[in-house]
Amino acid sequence: MDHLGERLSALIDGELGPVEHESALIHLAKCESCRFEADMMRRLKRRLHGLCEPEPDMDFMGRLTSLSRDPGGHSGHGPSDPPPGGAGFGARPPLGSSRPLGGFPGDGGALSAETVPAPDTAPTEPAARPDRRRIGSDRIAHLFPAFPAFPGGRYAVAGFAVATALLGSAFVAGGDSEEAPVVEPPLADYAVEHAVTSRYIPVVDAPPPTTAEAPPTTAEAPHGSVETTR
Amino acid sequence: MSAEGHSSAHSVPVTLLVVALLCALLLTAAHPHATAVPAEGRDDGMSVLRRAAAAEDEVAYSGVREVTGPEGTEGRRLNVRVVNRPGEGLAMAPVGDEDSTLVISPSSALESLDDRLLRMLRDTYDVSGAGTAVLEGRETLLVEAERADGTVAGRFWVDTATGLLLGRTVYEADGEPALSVRLTGLELEVGDWPEGESGDSPWGDTLTVGERDGLRDEGWPLPEYLDWNLRLVDARSTEYAGHRVVHAVYSDGLSQVSVFTQRGKLDTEHSPTLRNGYVGTGAGGGSVTTQHGTIFGGDAGQYQSMWQANGFVYTVLADAPAGLASSAVTALPGPGSGFWARVHRGLSRLGLL
Repeated sequence: MDHLGERLSALIDGELGPVEHESALIHLAKCESCRFEADMMRRLKRRLHGLCEPEPDMDFMGRLTSLSRDPGGHSGHGPSDPPPGGAGFGARPPLGSSRPLGGFPGDGGALSAETVPAPDTAPTEPAARPDRRRIGSDRIAHLFPAFPAFPGGRYAVAGFAVATALLGSAFVAGGDSEEAPVVEPPLADYAVEHAVTSRYIPVVDAPPPTTAEAPPTTAEAPHGSVETTR
Repeated sequence: MSAEGHSSAHSVPVTLLVVALLCALLLTAAHPHATAVPAEGRDDGMSVLRRAAAAEDEVAYSGVREVTGPEGTEGRRLNVRVVNRPGEGLAMAPVGDEDSTLVISPSSALESLDDRLLRMLRDTYDVSGAGTAVLEGRETLLVEAERADGTVAGRFWVDTATGLLLGRTVYEADGEPALSVRLTGLELEVGDWPEGESGDSPWGDTLTVGERDGLRDEGWPLPEYLDWNLRLVDARSTEYAGHRVVHAVYSDGLSQVSVFTQRGKLDTEHSPTLRNGYVGTGAGGGSVTTQHGTIFGGDAGQYQSMWQANGFVYTVLADAPAGLASSAVTALPGPGSGFWARVHRGLSRLGLL
């Protein structure tokens, strides 16, 4: 019985045609060695896919590590005491920072205890990252001495910059348009147009108040001079 | 933990508080005042008012229209001689100044506008018959327009015999009469017609809905509402010196506000004060609004205002209570000249407001 051989890899990768795929499945049902090999290849493929996932941010891991090593913590453990249940989160070096398989060149290839960084000594490189942030904060505090250093100051400055840019743009855009012509609205014509639609005498052509002095005695508002019955 | 942890722990309730406050603000702003809603009702008085509108086209008469403004306004009364001839129009002239006669020719545009005004009155108020009344010795049907809170916004007196509208009063929200009109000395015959008057009609270029939308796309301010009860009922345009002028009519069915808009700006030396003798008065002698300068109260509850904003010049003429005229003016873009006004204008132009 011929084994699948290279077709096994194509089967795992889903690259076989329908007919070959069907025949390969039939062979797997009968052949235990090919079935074992296929199972191993699937597992290997899953592992490889797992390695392709994005690694955690080194900076983030470094900050977490430095937090776990805070001597002022109230966890009741010393800085070198391992937390219950094994190493605490962040105590291990970040993914990707461990020694490669086979060791670094020149270290003899031995996986000795000295080469595995201890929880209290390992994160020297990541722990240095927050210092860079503090330097940035110090610069901001230096630029704006009136503002005390506070967490998130970078975001405040960024927001201030965005608001300033927005206000500046709006101020420029809100300027008077020079191309607008100077007009003198024909108020008398408007008054006639308004009077036509409202059926009232033009407001601007009305005589001065002196002409309306001494109104008739009957010129009270209608509601005040009528007898109303319901 | 670090200070960042504390700040993030504090930021959550602060964020929630800000969101809650914003929601409360939006809900409060969106909720209208209890009276700022249309009044429900049977509107059984509308038939009387429709008859009155039709009578203007059927009954010839002459008389003196007495227009009375708000209490306490200097020169609050104005008498206008009116002559109505079906088919020829309505002639109006201030008593003692017959040379200033205005003749309004009948037109389908005005009939259509009357229909829309009546619909607006019906939609805004509860229009109901309130019995009969005697006015100037004539029996009339009294029709009241009530707000949603039951207060009276307007009263109409319709002559029982002829169907003519003999009296009309518009009230402020506090119940004080803002504008009263009554027809005295009614004579049911053809009066002296001012010969030689050609008559005026509304501007001929009626703006359709599509044309209004087109103007809005070009940046023209032409809102459908100036206030919850002040709706656009008519829009026309004409040209002066090759430049378009838009006349928008807003009404609640009782009062009319005309907004004339044109592109441009006022002359820097243009002074809106002391125009035509009006000295910056509103009801009671005080300015109606300060946001747009002063609305100049004319005689008998008529108001006018002119300003420039955002590349447009606005002219508002209103036969309306001071409160309604003020709300109409403040609903339009303001002429602010300060820093924040300019920023606000810029944000509007950038489409962020």
